[in-house]
Amino acid sequence: MTKTPLIRPCTLVWLILLALTGLTWFIGESGITGMAIVGFVLATTLFKSQMVVDYFMGLKHVRAAWRGLLFGYLLLVCGMIGVAYYISLT
Amino acid sequence: MTTSRKHDAGGLPGDFAIWIFIFAELLVFGVFFLAYAFSRANNVELFNESQVHLNRIAGAANTVVLLTSSYFVVRAVAAIRADNARRCGHWLLSAIGMGSVFLVIKMFEFGEKFSAGISLSTNTFFMFYLSLTFFHFMHVILGIVILAAVLLKARSGGYSAANHTGVETGASYWHMVDLVWLILFPLVYVIH
Repeated sequence: MTKTPLIRPCTLVWLILLALTGLTWFIGESGITGMAIVGFVLATTLFKSQMVVDYFMGLKHVRAAWRGLLFGYLLLVCGMIGVAYYISLT
Repeated sequence: MTTSRKHDAGGLPGDFAIWIFIFAELLVFGVFFLAYAFSRANNVELFNESQVHLNRIAGAANTVVLLTSSYFVVRAVAAIRADNARRCGHWLLSAIGMGSVFLVIKMFEFGEKFSAGISLSTNTFFMFYLSLTFFHFMHVILGIVILAAVLLKARSGGYSAANHTGVETGASYWHMVDLVWLILFPLVYVIH
């Protein structure tokens, strides 16, 4: 007999995304800043975005090139935002 | 959970044409984001001082609203794959409702800024803030129109477990709108 999961996987992903959004908001409200914090916020953003790509858009099991293209885009955008922030500090 | 069907190259869900559109849109938003980030690097004080005037609670609330609407769309796709067009319609209607909440919150935010005398010409930060968020706002409207068209067809029995490319197509576009906001929120409202 197949066991019904306690929570749907997509529901779990949604709850994780909401929790990480709350964390991002809290960091903004707390006023803490610096390269490490911004790096953390960008890493969180990259993680959240990839979760949307994989589990909401449903690209986790499509041809790797498509998933890689979107991951590459997200990595490039988040990475360059980090570079721009680093430049602003120097 | 959205699992892909083999409609075309690589099994991207929905019509392949929407993916061309999605990649083009992501490219445009990406350029916009980097233009903001590097402009900020040259005007750090101005951007930080101006960012204080943003309503971060509204920005976070809109992130929650868009994530929730995306979740509802995932449930709509799952429902039609289970051949339940009625339930699919309910989830789509809920997603459209959340999309509308996003628009209301955003209009409240725009209203706040305009009544404070802030406009595109106030400074570089607000030029970016208003144009980026308005550009995204227009995409939310287009996404709602697409979801509404999919909803009407679902309600008239136009989709089934065997034929639901249209639902996946609309869903993919809506997730892209969500994806863009996930970057926009920390970039414009949080990072300082």
